Amino acid sequence: MGRRDLPSLADAVDAADVILHLAPETNGEVAYRAFKAEEAKVGLPLADLAERTRGTRYTYSDLLQQPRRLLTSPCWSGIVNDGRAYAAYCLNTERLVPWRTLTGRQHFYLDHEGYIAFGEHLPTFKPKPDPYAIGEFVKSRADGDSIMLNYLTPHGKWNIHSTYYDNHRMLTLSRGLHPLWMNDADAEQIGVKDNDWVEVYNDHGVVVTRANVSARVPRGIGILYHATERTISVPRSPLRGNRRAGGHNSVTRTRLKPVLMVGGYGQFTYAFNYWGPTGVNRDTYVLVRRLDKPDW
Amino acid sequence: MDVRAQVSMVFHLDKCIGCHTCSVACKNIWTDRKGAEYMWWNNVETKPGTGYPTLWEDQEKYKGGWERQNGDLRLKLQNRAGGLANLFHNPHLPTIDDYYEPWTYRYGDLFTAPEGDDQPTARPISMIDGEPVDIEAGPNWDDDLSGSPIYAKNDPNFESITDEERRQLFELERLVFFYLPRICNHCVNPGCVAACPAGAIYKRGEDGIVLTSQEKCRAWRMCISGCPYKKVYFNWATGKSEKCILCYPRLETGQAPACFHSCVGRIRYLGVLLYDAERIEAAAKVTDAQLVEAQRAMILDPFDADVRAGARANGIPDAMLDAAQKSPVYRFVKTYQLALPLHAEFRTLPMLFYVPPLLPVVGARENGAYRVAADFFSSLESARVPIRYMAKLFAAGNEAEVIAVYRRLIAVRAYKRAEAVGDIAPEAISEALAEAGITPDEAEAIYHLTSMATFDERFVIPPLAREVNIEATLDPFTHKPHAGFGFNQSLDRE
Ligand code: SF4
Ligand code: SF4
Repeated sequence: MGRRDLPSLADAVDAADVILHLAPETNGEVAYRAFKAEEAKVGLPLADLAERTRGTRYTYSDLLQQPRRLLTSPCWSGIVNDGRAYAAYCLNTERLVPWRTLTGRQHFYLDHEGYIAFGEHLPTFKPKPDPYAIGEFVKSRADGDSIMLNYLTPHGKWNIHSTYYDNHRMLTLSRGLHPLWMNDADAEQIGVKDNDWVEVYNDHGVVVTRANVSARVPRGIGILYHATERTISVPRSPLRGNRRAGGHNSVTRTRLKPVLMVGGYGQFTYAFNYWGPTGVNRDTYVLVRRLDKPDW
Repeated sequence: MDVRAQVSMVFHLDKCIGCHTCSVACKNIWTDRKGAEYMWWNNVETKPGTGYPTLWEDQEKYKGGWERQNGDLRLKLQNRAGGLANLFHNPHLPTIDDYYEPWTYRYGDLFTAPEGDDQPTARPISMIDGEPVDIEAGPNWDDDLSGSPIYAKNDPNFESITDEERRQLFELERLVFFYLPRICNHCVNPGCVAACPAGAIYKRGEDGIVLTSQEKCRAWRMCISGCPYKKVYFNWATGKSEKCILCYPRLETGQAPACFHSCVGRIRYLGVLLYDAERIEAAAKVTDAQLVEAQRAMILDPFDADVRAGARANGIPDAMLDAAQKSPVYRFVKTYQLALPLHAEFRTLPMLFYVPPLLPVVGARENGAYRVAADFFSSLESARVPIRYMAKLFAAGNEAEVIAVYRRLIAVRAYKRAEAVGDIAPEAISEALAEAGITPDEAEAIYHLTSMATFDERFVIPPLAREVNIEATLDPFTHKPHAGFGFNQSLDRE
């Protein structure tokens, strides 16, 4: 007994097996015990969710053979028994597990003084900030050749960040790079035709890419999907002394939202990947101008 | 009656999400080869748009398909003055610019660039000559109205639409698009087969799949012009034409074609249709307005005793007939008449049918919210996309055909909405069903087939019994490893 029974972490496969062994999603017995513990906390029967899969154990070699379904676990809020697809909060709505909030219910009103101070204790409309007030255009000024756009970087049609997009197939099925979508009338105003090269810039950074001109995009908006790698088809920027241009995030900056930093109160409690300040780095304002010929 | 059986297809366009999973599945399996880089046997287009190859629908440009002349049917291609003179030069072939110049990236530069202040980048280079390229076109270039002032605006199907209508269509609030996935239609009157001087393209007897013999092809490339859908491609490395083979090696082992199997939107249905080969010629010769109905009339009822007897007399196995009775394609095309051929006016009698998309047509924006227009009955007249446009695509211009489909789709939707939401009066539902000519049971069945059909209901694959259908002289064990695309024998040139 004793030391001999400690799991080995000698190689990567062992380490993976240890994780799989300790996680309720991949070890039915652990899931069962976790639900037993949850029952004690919640005062409702829950372990039946793990009863029938109590004997399930996934090892690394199982996963090599084929994809496996995760088991239902109290660490998450979905119920995925019997092939059911994952949806959040099933445990809360169907099995009445209290929500992970101060009151155990869903919160609409947030009675935290930080939220009250910011006027966000109820869902609130906040207008777009003034582009000049946020300091993107201290040095960069609009001129006759450029147009100012509200720059948005939403998830792409095919990709989750760089995954599934920065590959030969999907780049071929789109435009071979990460274009800036803009409205046709806006494009015309600065003499840009579909697929022309453009320089997209503000004080913070610069992107050089091609314009995807479409009536689908509302006027005044420029869209560049995030978050692709800066490795494919990125020319140099004349505006920056012919240095390599940036990626979609080069013109945005991280602005921490103060209310997301309040804590120590009910659900506002920091936990890794659970609650913490998000970088509000997705949207800003940019100037766009035509670029004759890209320099590589 | 000359009964034939064909593995046929339906794509339900309201369900297509334009994910291109189908295209990638096909590409990975069949055309990830030298000489086939630019080929997409399955491609998905955004409509309105010009598609791939660009403007393929414009037969003034490409001369694909058939045309009626003095009551006769002739290939458009061979109808030009000096047909023989053009035998060695075919001016209507799409060029690489009409498709696109396949490209890749000089990924190596990311690793080998000399040390410096700047991050290296992988430049696009041509897959044909390896030189840096300016990417100006691709197989999905006008995706989601990319470059709409150039591509969507020049959709060939807009030809009969007024400038005012066109202008309105491109106003943001009215702007709409849908996806059109395309594979070879495995036509009953295929232009590709008729155009081939070498007899290399053939329609398989037992299942109607149209194939190009890689042995017999002599690189005439007439098939590429002859096919109005531009679904034959020329492999520049082997010097042979290639096309969608409906994944016959998969079908022969009871699996759905890869694009069907992988379809995320579950828009695809596959099943057997029986048709009367004696009616082919007549069906291909009627006026444009009659084409859809003539093709539908050619399709035979698999429950009819005479049809079954005729099928047996033609050697169609019982398993095929059973599959025909379970065919979801039969129900979509014939029973419920919801699925229509794409560009019937090309007169190739395509055996891939489309349920035209309803949502872009009757959806409306009210106070910024998107909803299906409340007034189901008048909404077709005020359609967001003119019905004329849909009729151009799916009914050779016959608006009545498309309207009839939409009436049925709307009736089913209203019927299910009344059930789920309860905000439509029962009389209005009865009226909608009556006008559409369907019963509540049929509405329920259509709903099931559209939304709830399982894998096995969507793909009813008959046993293709290749072992009895291959030439008797071939040893089945010799044939077995050769199922697949390419040459059955090595190319030994003496
Ligand atoms: S779609 Fe084209 S390639 Fe396919 S059978 Fe019809 S004519 Fe031939
Ligand atoms: S996989 Fe299906 S849903 Fe996706 S694009 Fe192809 S046909 Fe449409």
